[in-house]
Amino acid sequence: MQESSTATTTNGPAKWGMAVDLDRCTGCEACVTACHAENNIPTVGANQAAAGRAMHWIRIERYFEGEFPDVHVKFRPVLCQHCDNAPCEPVCPTYASSHTDEGLNAQVYNRCIGTRYCANACNYNVRFFNWFNPIWEKPLHLQLNPDVSLREVSVMEKCTFCVQRIKEAKIDAKRDARPLADGDVKPACVQSCTANALVFGDLNDPESAVSRLSRSPRGTKLLGDLGTQPKITYLQREG
Amino acid sequence: MSRIAPNQMTDDLLRPLLHTTWKFYAGVAVLGSIVLAGLGAWFYQVYMGLGITGDNWPVFWGFHETNFVFWIGISHAGTLISAILRMVDATWRRPVTRCAEAITAFALMIGALFPLIHLGRPWLAWWLIPYPSERMIWPNFRSPLAWDFFAINTYLTSSLLFLFLPMLPDLAVVRDKTTGLRSKIYGLLSLGWQGTPKQWHRLEMAMHIMAIAIIPIAVSVHTIVSFDFSMAVVPMWHSTIFGPYFVAGAIFSGIAALIIAMALLRKILHLEAYLEPIHFNNLGKLLFTMSLLWGYFVFNERLTTWYGNETHEMAAFWITQTGRYAPLFWTMVFCNFILPFPFLAIRKLRTITGCVIASCGVVVGMWLERFLIIVPSLSTKPITYSWGRYMPQWPEITIMIGSIAAMVLLYVLFSKFVPLISMWEMKVGEHPEVKEAASVAAAQEAGELL
Amino acid sequence: MDRRQFIKLGAATSATATLAGCGNPENQLIRFIPEDDLIPGISVWKPSICPLCSAGCGVLVRIMEGEAEVIRNGQLGLIKMGLAKKLEGNPQHPVNQGKLCVRGQAALQVTYHPDRIANPLKRSGERGSGQFQEISWDDAIAELVSQMNALAAANDQKSLGFLTRPLRGQRQRLVAEFLSRFGAPAALDFEVLGEDVMRRANARSFGYDQLSTFDLAQSRYVLTLGADFLGTWNSPVSQSVGYGEMRQGRPGIRATFVQVEPRMSQTGANADEWVPIKPGTEGVLALGLAHVIMAARLFPAAAAGRAGAQVAGWANGLPAYTPQEVERITGIAAARVERLAREFAEQRPSVAIIGGAPLAHTNGTFNALAVNALNALVGSIGQPGGVYFTPRANVGGAQAGTAQAGRTIDKVAAEILATERSPIQLLMLGEANPVFGTPPAWRVKEALAKIPYIVSFGNFLDETSSLSDLILPDHSFLESWVDDVPESGAMVAVASLAPPAMRPLHQTRAMPDVLLDLGRRLTPAIELPWQNYQAMLQAAFSTLPAPPAPAGEEPADVWRTAQAQGGWWGEVAARPAAAAAQGQAPAAYTEAQFDGAAAEYPYHFLPYASQQFLDGSLAHLPWLQELPDVLTSAMWSSWVEINTQTASQLGIVQGDLVEVGSGQGTLRAPVFVSPAIAPDVIAMPVGQGHETFTRYASGRGANPISILAPVLEAETGSLAWAATRVRVSKVDGDGGLILFGGSLREHSEEHR
Ligand SMILES: Nc1nc2c(c(=O)[nH]1)N[C@H]1C(S)=C(S)[C@@H](COP(=O)(O)OP(=O)(O)OC[C@H]3O[C@@H](n4cnc5c(=O)[nH]c(N)nc54)[C@H](O)[C@@H]3O)O[C@H]1N2
Ligand SMILES: Nc1nc2c(c(=O)[nH]1)N[C@H]1C(S)=C(S)[C@@H](COP(=O)(O)OP(=O)(O)OC[C@H]3O[C@@H](n4cnc5c(=O)[nH]c(N)nc54)[C@H](O)[C@@H]3O)O[C@H]1N2
Ligand code: SF4
Ligand code: SF4
Ligand code: SF4
Ligand code: SF4
Ligand code: SF4
Repeated sequence: MQESSTATTTNGPAKWGMAVDLDRCTGCEACVTACHAENNIPTVGANQAAAGRAMHWIRIERYFEGEFPDVHVKFRPVLCQHCDNAPCEPVCPTYASSHTDEGLNAQVYNRCIGTRYCANACNYNVRFFNWFNPIWEKPLHLQLNPDVSLREVSVMEKCTFCVQRIKEAKIDAKRDARPLADGDVKPACVQSCTANALVFGDLNDPESAVSRLSRSPRGTKLLGDLGTQPKITYLQREG
Repeated sequence: MSRIAPNQMTDDLLRPLLHTTWKFYAGVAVLGSIVLAGLGAWFYQVYMGLGITGDNWPVFWGFHETNFVFWIGISHAGTLISAILRMVDATWRRPVTRCAEAITAFALMIGALFPLIHLGRPWLAWWLIPYPSERMIWPNFRSPLAWDFFAINTYLTSSLLFLFLPMLPDLAVVRDKTTGLRSKIYGLLSLGWQGTPKQWHRLEMAMHIMAIAIIPIAVSVHTIVSFDFSMAVVPMWHSTIFGPYFVAGAIFSGIAALIIAMALLRKILHLEAYLEPIHFNNLGKLLFTMSLLWGYFVFNERLTTWYGNETHEMAAFWITQTGRYAPLFWTMVFCNFILPFPFLAIRKLRTITGCVIASCGVVVGMWLERFLIIVPSLSTKPITYSWGRYMPQWPEITIMIGSIAAMVLLYVLFSKFVPLISMWEMKVGEHPEVKEAASVAAAQEAGELL
Repeated sequence: MDRRQFIKLGAATSATATLAGCGNPENQLIRFIPEDDLIPGISVWKPSICPLCSAGCGVLVRIMEGEAEVIRNGQLGLIKMGLAKKLEGNPQHPVNQGKLCVRGQAALQVTYHPDRIANPLKRSGERGSGQFQEISWDDAIAELVSQMNALAAANDQKSLGFLTRPLRGQRQRLVAEFLSRFGAPAALDFEVLGEDVMRRANARSFGYDQLSTFDLAQSRYVLTLGADFLGTWNSPVSQSVGYGEMRQGRPGIRATFVQVEPRMSQTGANADEWVPIKPGTEGVLALGLAHVIMAARLFPAAAAGRAGAQVAGWANGLPAYTPQEVERITGIAAARVERLAREFAEQRPSVAIIGGAPLAHTNGTFNALAVNALNALVGSIGQPGGVYFTPRANVGGAQAGTAQAGRTIDKVAAEILATERSPIQLLMLGEANPVFGTPPAWRVKEALAKIPYIVSFGNFLDETSSLSDLILPDHSFLESWVDDVPESGAMVAVASLAPPAMRPLHQTRAMPDVLLDLGRRLTPAIELPWQNYQAMLQAAFSTLPAPPAPAGEEPADVWRTAQAQGGWWGEVAARPAAAAAQGQAPAAYTEAQFDGAAAEYPYHFLPYASQQFLDGSLAHLPWLQELPDVLTSAMWSSWVEINTQTASQLGIVQGDLVEVGSGQGTLRAPVFVSPAIAPDVIAMPVGQGHETFTRYASGRGANPISILAPVLEAETGSLAWAATRVRVSKVDGDGGLILFGGSLREHSEEHR
């Protein structure tokens, strides 16, 4: 289940993480659709969306603060935090939710028996369940990314940090006989982020962009006091 | 204790087994249809996906899990009544034990189905069994769901034994009173019971050991069920009080269920002479104790949360106190505490009717309690953007009604095949000399062995 | 075996056969020999251009081998072909620098949409009934040829009309050439939320009839009036990239951003300071700032040059726009006006951006001219951190605007309705949906009904194309040769170009090739110098200068390099500003006029381009329908935004159904109660409310344009779409608002 990692920026295995600069994020949601397109996330239709079954591995939370006319809005992109101490993992009776040696919270669809316990345990509410078999009305199925497996009914799914892109970048680096460089791996949301608010990389490499940003004095962790040790650092807005 | 001749007693208690009226068939047909409807709803859910229920993001659990905890709770009837009272040798327990043990067994069977029913892919449930697969993939023993699997299986096995062992002498009586195939079947079931002192002695010993053993099992089972919630860092779930709170609640609802069952049996099977007001009175006192205990737990749970004033917890707290779920919460308090109080505290009102009214309240209230533990917390987890709500849909409602019908149906069938009141224990109660004889025989035997 | 057994066995066998058939219907299709040479599992990235809005972002398309059902030579079968799997921004493209907006990401679904028109269609039922039958391309072209020949025979060529959304690049040139050689008038452009006011103001202030480009990355202070520049307006991706840099791209420097608008847009939600303003008074605020700046002698009036001259009273320091006067008109406190003015003048480079609703009032041009003058005053024109005009690449000769100046759809519709015989006898319809996108009072649908013959090149049946008699479906952009000359968003000249990224899925044909083919078949034939569109593009792009080659090397072939990188970009000779028009009076503030008396219609109605659907042309994409709107989190819905206080006065709570009525009509939609909208404003996203527009958009929600009054902007005559007043009342019924998000506020605010 856990692949050995040869090509990484440091000698040891990578520890993938992300920094989200809330001062850059504009709430444009390009990341949301990019994630749908990259990861074969189904649309569920109006009725199911109304029943609370819409799936968005990454979402832009919006919070109003204050009252008219002194109103402010806070945007916050929320995706799986790939917690180092992930509450979704111990509760899964079949190891469908488990940790890889590169620090990803992996979701092994085939092992999932659909208890939904992990989703309850995850306080970030970033896990989504396939309440029905997903439908792609032909020929929308032609858009599906062959690098990402389809999920069937009663399987839990969530952000994978675009593991297929990590893998692809490693294969490319190996083919070219070079070490994986910072920035070689760009998850779909990061690639699309119009304001470059999302930065992805190896937290084990102290010089990677994500490591440097994670050390920013603006850095905070979402629900960090729960002890989940998220691998996403949110850089708070200035001003 | 009423004075009923042993022969009369045997006739009374075997009557339901030997004479079948059309009412029985009608009852079984009606109940069976409801059970089938529930099963149909479940199959449909398996076929379609859980989308046909009201579960959603973020309220991933709803009625199915409520019913799971509810039925496992109900199953604690037998434990307390039978085991504890047996241990302390409370003689008034005698007509009550089997009714209680049967509730335990059936409620557990039904309760144990709900983890299966709630699964998205129930056909893979066997992955929870730790079998040595060629790829050495074991269940995750860190998961409370894996603990549930073992706890419930252990409890189910032991409570079936606990129900079955003291049935042996009565099954033997049926064997002797019937002929033909029936006699043969009861013969098999009674495992060759002849009533020899040695057999009596072993039965007594076994029951004693079982009674002691099953209490920690029962306590652990509902503690583990509570761990399904308290192990997750979910507001108002992550609480150390959940273990004892769940056990107390379980016993509470179990006694209530037992009182209702006894009252029904008394009426339907004309057991007025056996299930007497004193039994209800005593159970009512127990129920009252549990109601107070339950109130104490709820007060504790709420007070510490409120006083702690932790942001995330307060959301789940207020939504039950004054928010969307407040009507259900206050109904629960009424049913579990306010309604039972006069009927159970005031001796004059602690009649059979009074006890039944209180018990009905408690059963409803305890169901609500389970629901209120699960749903409000899930709908108000720490990230407010992801707050949601839950509305049950027809499948889980049908399955729930089906499960109630299944409970009644199992009881009806059981009463058809086994005397619902332990005849030999009643007789032991009537004729202490029998017991003495048995003890003497046992002593002799022990002497021989020595 | 007896008879009953036999029947049972037979039934079982046929059931098995049916089941097997159900499971894999593909198995019965024949397999064609692959036409592409792709390695399975290996992706190739090909350039393209996003066609969904006028920003013209450069795209990279991930092509991988896949298996599609296609028709080849009339036979349905399976083919292994290169399929587009993902769209990403082209990192080399100067406009979007590797990024795409949410709509660009979803553009993939245009090609794979289940309701795409797959074949030429001929109307088979009543007009507008939506009944069509498939016909062959030969028959379809023959029919159109005979229609056009009839016009030519009757010497009535001028009654050929061409209605399209604004075209650019060689498509525009081809259509113009085709029409003029046939003898028809120039094409009629239609855009729901057009930008003519901004272009007119830029032409007056600076001599460029063009939208502005902003160098946000280097700005220190950005003041926006109404423009949703991070969401939908102008060149949103280019602007978002710049925005990120201006916030956190420079160590130690973080620009301040102030947004002035009566309803908080996605862009406004990012502002450090959000300033609600009385609708239609934005220009007054700009002049108020200019007044303070000039009065404080931070900059002299002369600094604004020509742009200042467009504003009445500028040379005298705008005495009519004192902070007190500005407060009276705009509702923004005088002290705040003073502070904003000082910040604007002192935290430079600063830039003011106006767009959207402020330009859609009757005094839109005035508002734009005022902001232009303000920018000019502080020296922000053509300077780092300020306003630029993207240089124009000269691709294939003249790029003059060929649409008929002043001829707008409302005038044409009125003309058609006023005459016995429609002046347009044959209408060619590009991708434009005026039936959905114009106020009912213009009676566009009625006018179209009077046109005897309509041929559409659309990909989808919408409210307008469903009125056609003949549909000649175009390829999707991924299946076509595409080219573009972005109007704004880049600091260098850009001419985007891309070959088809994949083979056509359906029996469609590229519109330019159809026109060329049509021309050859007409009597008399229209002789255009190109065999096909590719040849036209090649001829045009070959005229562009090749990038300077290292000494001793052949200069690169522009045509090839442009195809490989997705276009040509580079420096071109600066285009001189057009001379100022003579005799144009400087603009003075006149109060914006609104349709509907304030007593009867107490609220300003503010439609806005939606994050998902823009003007409604993207409502057919399921990814966008299910995208939670970033401010409301609404999916698959339309809604009206009402201020918290107003809602409680009206007894309305979140999700209630309301009726919004103007003098023109009513609509019903659920309410989103928002703290971020002025109490006298009702806002509503444009985009839903389609009667006919694929399975995903038809019959969903309400269309705010359907209650707009036909009020025009005074100078340009374009629709003043923010000039309608409405009333609101709660009605019975299910609002049906579908929200993704739960609470509007975080904990700290929930339980204060
Ligand atoms: N490193 C690494 N190891 C992996 C995997 C991975 O991704 N990476 N994937 C795993 C998975 S998912 C799988 S399924 C296994 C597959 O592992 P294997 O089953 O070993 O698969 P192959 O090597 O493809 O095929 C086995 C042999 O079958 C022969 N063969 C082909 N056709 C026939 C036939 O008709 N009859 C007979 N008798 N032989 C035939 C082939 O020549 C070949 O020698 O590998 C597993 N191991
Ligand atoms: N050419 C060729 N094709 C073959 C075969 C072959 O031998 N040769 N073998 C066939 C066989 S037997 C098989 S089993 C299939 C296997 O085909 P696939 O199932 O496609 O197998 P992989 O490529 O190993 O893995 C798929 C993707 O899953 C990602 N992944 C890894 N871990 C996780 C996780 O925890 N969560 C999520 N969401 N994703 C994860 C990987 O990065 C990878 O991108 O291929 C079949 N196709
Ligand atoms: S964010 Fe949730 S799903 Fe992701 S690792 Fe943490 S607990 Fe698991
Ligand atoms: S839903 Fe799947 S992944 Fe989650 S706990 Fe259950 S089995 Fe594990
Ligand atoms: S990292 Fe990949 S899977 Fe996760 S949110 Fe971003 S695009 Fe989606
Ligand atoms: S793409 Fe980037 S800027 Fe846009 S919403 Fe996502 S994180 Fe924010
Ligand atoms: S801004 Fe968005 S819709 Fe417009 S061209 Fe760029 S990517 Fe396409």
